[in-house]
Amino acid sequence: MTVDTASLGSARKTGGPWRTVWKVVSSPRAARPAAYLAAFLGWMLLAALRPRVPTPWKVFEFLWIELTGGSHGGVLKGQWAHHVAITMERFGIGLVISFVIGLAVGVLIGSSRYAHALLNDTLMVFLALPAIIWAFITVIWFGLGNQAPVWTTVLTAFPFVSVNIVHGVQAITPDLRMMSHSFGVSSYRRLRHLILPAITGYVFAGLRFAVIVGWNGVLLAEWFGSADGVGWRTRYWYDAARYQGFVGWVLLFLVIIILIDRWILAPMERRAFRWRDVHRDKITIQERPEALGAA
Amino acid sequence: MATVSVKHLSKVFPSSKKGGPPVRAINDVSFELSGQVFVSIVGPSGCGKSTLLNILSGVDTPSAGSVEVTQDGRPAQRGYVFQDPRLLPWRTVMQNMLYVSDLPEVEARTNARVYLDMVGLPVSDDLFPRQLSGGMQQRVGIARAFSVSPDILLMDEPFSHLDAITARSLRLQLQEIWSQTRKTVVFVTHDVVEAVQLSDRVIIMEHGGRIFDDMEIDLPHPRRAADASVAMKQVEILGMFEQMVEQTESAQGEPKRAV
Repeated sequence: MTVDTASLGSARKTGGPWRTVWKVVSSPRAARPAAYLAAFLGWMLLAALRPRVPTPWKVFEFLWIELTGGSHGGVLKGQWAHHVAITMERFGIGLVISFVIGLAVGVLIGSSRYAHALLNDTLMVFLALPAIIWAFITVIWFGLGNQAPVWTTVLTAFPFVSVNIVHGVQAITPDLRMMSHSFGVSSYRRLRHLILPAITGYVFAGLRFAVIVGWNGVLLAEWFGSADGVGWRTRYWYDAARYQGFVGWVLLFLVIIILIDRWILAPMERRAFRWRDVHRDKITIQERPEALGAA
Repeated sequence: MATVSVKHLSKVFPSSKKGGPPVRAINDVSFELSGQVFVSIVGPSGCGKSTLLNILSGVDTPSAGSVEVTQDGRPAQRGYVFQDPRLLPWRTVMQNMLYVSDLPEVEARTNARVYLDMVGLPVSDDLFPRQLSGGMQQRVGIARAFSVSPDILLMDEPFSHLDAITARSLRLQLQEIWSQTRKTVVFVTHDVVEAVQLSDRVIIMEHGGRIFDDMEIDLPHPRRAADASVAMKQVEILGMFEQMVEQTESAQGEPKRAV
């Protein structure tokens, strides 16, 4: 973090060192590190009060061994890349399928009253079913392997995509629909240039939910019905009563979720909303002179 | 150039209040027009003029009577200019033009440029609507309507949301484009002065959805609001119009600001 030396100087004159500290801590740039710091301190406090909660040092030590492939003692070796890769693959496939299904179902329910009457309650049921139910059901259906985590992701995530898109489609202004109608614009073009761009904001809201609940789903399915992956590894350490391992893996997948949001979703969103972020004052267009003031 | 034939047209809307009487927006209206004419439909708010335009455009359907908008016996291709620009905000000016075009992409682009140039926006292709002023957005709307090579152009109070100066310059420009392209135009407005300046024929509608008067304006184009002959005609028709509004008010027994 960089500190503005000029403001430091003036603060020293007016209010002493505490004021300076307060100024730095209370700036918006400091808010995010402050949140992480608070969480860390809270964790230390919890570890001091509850004996079963591993201290941050123990967890970091564990993660170091796990990530570098060192020895946990005995024959246990650290391993992670394989588990993260296989989980990401299942998660990625599940997310793509749930996006496609969610989009189709959402556009259908949003644009047709018949489809709304037919499917909306069913969608609510899907929305209300927790990931753990799907994890059990898919493990019963597919057994151990890739199928159960992928389909748990799909079944937990797609309703969140759909329900957002239904609202997005319903929010499209009738003016633009009527314009398209009176110019006889084809339904493919309407979908591509009117409906899809109009619901972009809702699509991203849906995707964010999908990432979070889908990640839940994939981990639960792996916990109960898989022999590898992040969920399995987390359970492995839980069953081995190595709580630093359990907490370490929980921490690892939190980091993965945050990075997916920051590095993939946020840039996509910025790109999709270029039209909204352009500013009037940047333009240099000249109207044809004779068109102006001709009257 | 299209032919419009409206015969005994009526339009009734169900009441917005439950159990209320239905609302008669258009009441037995008949008129014909064809060829290179600029026709205005003028009337106070709620006289049914926009409903009439919606029926001509095919967005709405008649309750009774018939409406035919044809070109050599087939349904006419229609262009539409709305009160507000109605551009897709997430598409550039050029993409908005391509959105309504049936031509192959390359031709559609060339065609769009011709009409953007005509409305005085030659270099706006890659701008988003937000980057344009209201007047410029409305120009894009006008260019879009002309670009589909319509047989008939339907315009619904296209200048009513603009400031007076912008509206004035766009009126002149519209006359210029119209004299180059010579489309059949049906122009709806509540502004008698505007109607007289632009049109060859003015149809005045009154409350209750009936035609009050239908007259030719035989003056050369382009007309400026400041021309004496235009101004005189405007005053004359404005007088008639106000008389009509007053009659309606006294007949209804309650004063209403209509114009």
